[in-house]
Amino acid sequence: MKVLVIYAHPVEGSYTSACRDRLLAGLDAAQHDVRLHDLHAEDFRPELSAQERTDQFASPDTKPDIAPHAADLQWCDALVLVYPTWWSGQPAMLKGWIDRVWVHGVAYDLPEGANRIRPRLTNIRRIAAVTTHGSPKWINMAQGEPGKRIVTRSIRLLCSRRTRTSWVALYGIDTADDRSRARFLDRVERFGRSL
Amino acid sequence: MQIVVVLAHPNGDSFNHAVASRVCDTLRAGGHHVDLLDLYALGFRAAMSAEEHTAYHGDTPLVDPMVAEHARLVKAADTLVFVYPTWWSGLPAILKGWLDRVMVPGVAFGFNSKGRVRPALTNVQRLVGISTYGSPRPYVRFVNDNGRRTLARTLRINTGVLTSRVWLGLYSADTATAKDRAAFLDRVEHSMASL
Repeated sequence: MKVLVIYAHPVEGSYTSACRDRLLAGLDAAQHDVRLHDLHAEDFRPELSAQERTDQFASPDTKPDIAPHAADLQWCDALVLVYPTWWSGQPAMLKGWIDRVWVHGVAYDLPEGANRIRPRLTNIRRIAAVTTHGSPKWINMAQGEPGKRIVTRSIRLLCSRRTRTSWVALYGIDTADDRSRARFLDRVERFGRSL
Repeated sequence: MQIVVVLAHPNGDSFNHAVASRVCDTLRAGGHHVDLLDLYALGFRAAMSAEEHTAYHGDTPLVDPMVAEHARLVKAADTLVFVYPTWWSGLPAILKGWLDRVMVPGVAFGFNSKGRVRPALTNVQRLVGISTYGSPRPYVRFVNDNGRRTLARTLRINTGVLTSRVWLGLYSADTATAKDRAAFLDRVEHSMASL
């Protein structure tokens, strides 16, 4: 399977970077074809610019700085997002990647006069998130799980009708002991292997 | 009252800017002190840096002077008003990044002796969200209105259960007429006049 991994954490050596490495090890063991984008290392700009907003319905060919990301999105069978959950959602870096790359002509079409979009990323059959939450699960449920719903609803709706989603999450990392952290890393590797 | 208005739209001539102007004018006419934070105009950086992440759990998590200034305003505010377009059912990256970078330990929350999060924004008595949505309301509800949940639930946990919430949404904004927009601005004015 062709797997696109998008990784967003500012610090190398963080627990999230360990999740990324174990995921890649699992994907490698299963001999998947993997492309990785490390958004901080690439110095990706997360703020959608005024020009990009004005040109939101322009052809993606006119947007060379997102072209490699757009090409990889259209290439992959599976998309895996690896990030820490902050304020119940994706870090700004990852949200900005969605804001800027999932544009008209890449992720969707919006026919003239319509306010419902038509999905374009029907090549993506699996979407997964590998993430950590500082707070326990019940708090995230009380918050309405905005980060999870952006993945399992908003962006999933731009993929195939049959696209499956997976949520691989460690809750309560603020109070988690070393054993549960190690166990979660094993789970992430198993997930990569089984994708 | 001390009111902070946070605006997150890249285009100076956008409808969101018109909304923010109406908000500020109405509140100032009502005798309130208003600070407008136009994040794009300020050149606010959305992504948390490695340095900031490393400092996050230390004694001085506010590294950037602009972020420290915003934190100071937030700590002195009775009301926070957010004006933004909803993108992919969530906050634009620049606004998500504002939460990630400004709402750090010591500003929005603290940790107790068991490592659990405790609210620290109890000075904020009211949270106001004003957003434009490209999609119609039923679709917004289906995808979970994640930006709203992030502010009205996740942030509110840190302001306290007594904080009241006001939410104003312009739905199907892509196909809204000039009349719809004018009516929405009047609704915003009416709501702000009665804060």
